[in-house]
Amino acid sequence: MSQFVDECRREWRRLGVPDPIANEMAADLTADLEEAEAEGGTAEDVLGNSAFDPRRFAAAWAAARGVTSPPTLDSPSRWRRPMAIALPALVGVLVVGAGLLLLVGRRSSAFAVVTHRIVAGPGPIRLFGPGAGRIVIPGPLGRTFVGSGVAGVDVHPLAVLLLFVGLGGLGLLAVLYWSFFSGSRRYRRHDGPRTPGWN
Amino acid sequence: MGNAEGRRSQLLRGVLDLCLLAVMGDGPAYGYEMTKRLRARGLSIVGEGSIYPLLGRLERDGLVETHRAASNGGPPRKYYSLSPEGERALEAGVSEWQAARDAVDGALGLVKAEVMP
Repeated sequence: MSQFVDECRREWRRLGVPDPIANEMAADLTADLEEAEAEGGTAEDVLGNSAFDPRRFAAAWAAARGVTSPPTLDSPSRWRRPMAIALPALVGVLVVGAGLLLLVGRRSSAFAVVTHRIVAGPGPIRLFGPGAGRIVIPGPLGRTFVGSGVAGVDVHPLAVLLLFVGLGGLGLLAVLYWSFFSGSRRYRRHDGPRTPGWN
Repeated sequence: MGNAEGRRSQLLRGVLDLCLLAVMGDGPAYGYEMTKRLRARGLSIVGEGSIYPLLGRLERDGLVETHRAASNGGPPRKYYSLSPEGERALEAGVSEWQAARDAVDGALGLVKAEVMP
């Protein structure tokens, strides 16, 4: 039974429960457990099914006394979950940002997709609209591209790749997050409490 | 019924605080002593949760008062007793429980009458 109290003490220490309060709870618990043992009883007689989960019991008791926050045992996963979303999202935003920087900052290696004539003026992004004639646009590595379509846009190929990967990744992340979040809500709604409310 | 234990726990969840307040009406008691009083009244917490977090909540809510005193030959214990606010809460809670119980009895009584030949 003292092992149960030791486990509780460790949990209270981990949760930052002040020593006087932890000592008081440990003393009360020890006295009750010893009394039950002297009467031939077990920890379960004193603690119910909490006797099998000292950490949860200790956290619930400390929270009930107002010395810790209620969802104490889940605290590591509470920050892991947002970080698991935030980090990939940050990478996605950086990739998209890099693509945008490349798009507006590297005109010299641009290539034309299709074109008939230039509509917009000078700048890193040039729009091509329908019209008669052909135009030759300088491309990467000294190559040139000859447009023959009806419209086009002058962009850096790596910028297109980065934007595609970044936006696609963010979209996929959003879908995964949404499915996970709605799944969690379903779990909370349909699954009953794992332990009674007073535990 | 497969989830009979779960249903029992659900039913007790809302009234165990009242039960604790009620056994405190017999006089100040420490944690395990209240567990024994509950058992003597036919309510065993084995298989259920512990009463300690609930006692902590009752204390925080001002429904019980506490003091330390030596038990019979044992170490000093924390004794819980009803505060005036706790007495009022017990009275109101018992009325609510009886009203809810009567309503449920009425509904279940109808079902039984329809099922019985």
